[in-house]
Amino acid sequence: MKKKPLHNKKNKFTRKQFIVLIVCIATGFMIGYSYKLTKDEVKVNTSYLEQEESYREDLISQKERNKELIEELIALQTKRREYEKTFAENEEDYDHLLQEADKLRLLLGEIPAYGEGIRVILKDSEYDPNSPNPNDYIVHESHVFAVINELKISGAEAITVNGQRIKTDSFIRCNGPVITIDGKQFPAPFVIEAVGDAKALHTSLKIVGGVFDQLLNDRIVVTIEESSLIEMPSINDNDEGVS
Amino acid sequence: MWLPFLGLLLGLALGLLTDIHIPAVYENYLSIAVLAALDTLFGGIRANLQQVYDDKVFLSGFFFNIALAAGLAFLGVHLGVDLYLAAIFAFGVRLFQNIAVIRRILITKWEERHIKKDENAV
Repeated sequence: MKKKPLHNKKNKFTRKQFIVLIVCIATGFMIGYSYKLTKDEVKVNTSYLEQEESYREDLISQKERNKELIEELIALQTKRREYEKTFAENEEDYDHLLQEADKLRLLLGEIPAYGEGIRVILKDSEYDPNSPNPNDYIVHESHVFAVINELKISGAEAITVNGQRIKTDSFIRCNGPVITIDGKQFPAPFVIEAVGDAKALHTSLKIVGGVFDQLLNDRIVVTIEESSLIEMPSINDNDEGVS
Repeated sequence: MWLPFLGLLLGLALGLLTDIHIPAVYENYLSIAVLAALDTLFGGIRANLQQVYDDKVFLSGFFFNIALAAGLAFLGVHLGVDLYLAAIFAFGVRLFQNIAVIRRILITKWEERHIKKDENAV
């Protein structure tokens, strides 16, 4: 069997040993290689599993987060709905307040008034030779007062005399043949306009023994007309006119 | 005696250090080839101990067994029959037989040496 020595015989490196060496190397290589492959595979598998696990955990945490967010969303939506509800209520209140404020401003005369109303025109009657005193047949401030008072009582929202808005602190003074309203002089005829329920105003003026009768009694020419739209300026416009 | 172990260690180191990747399909073949190689190796050791060792038989057995096992596995994969089991079974049985024979021979040798020693001592 020891036919061909490959090297010198000192090392006793025979053919048999060479073959054994080769076979051993090959076997060792295969064993080592397959061991490594298996190890790699296991590693890959474990890493894959770990990855999967981590992904799953991520997914779970994401789902939990989603759930939390959805709950938060629902809570916020409910809150918002409540806000809207209260806001709507507030808005109604606000509307009421606004209307009230408008009404008050209207009464104060701070804003222009317009709407259904009544117009009362007071004129001096024709010259009467029988009565020597002209005071008997001219319009006095008391007549204007009476009309204004009656209109106010009947619920007039705004009143003007010859276009001059009557305020809460307006004054009317007799000044001979003219009357002075807030420092402005106005001659006859006096046009008293009032915004309000025209019918009610008209009726209240024409009550038997009321203002209308008294005016007629004082021989004043009174014209009452209902108007579907009466416009009157605000006091600020009047002030501008004064200055 | 140290040469085969040295070769084995060298081969192991080479196998562990190589960074070649083979498709996963052929890993089955490799495991069978490992089994075949081990079988041949132990067969060689047994033959050597039994004084019937032959280079040609050893070398051809080594490569032929590996090729046959791999071929069987390949055929099995393509036929849908687990033929590699046959190879594993055959090589496994032979591996155990070989190892058993080696063990018996070694024991006999050791006993012979022991008896000789005893005789010398006596």
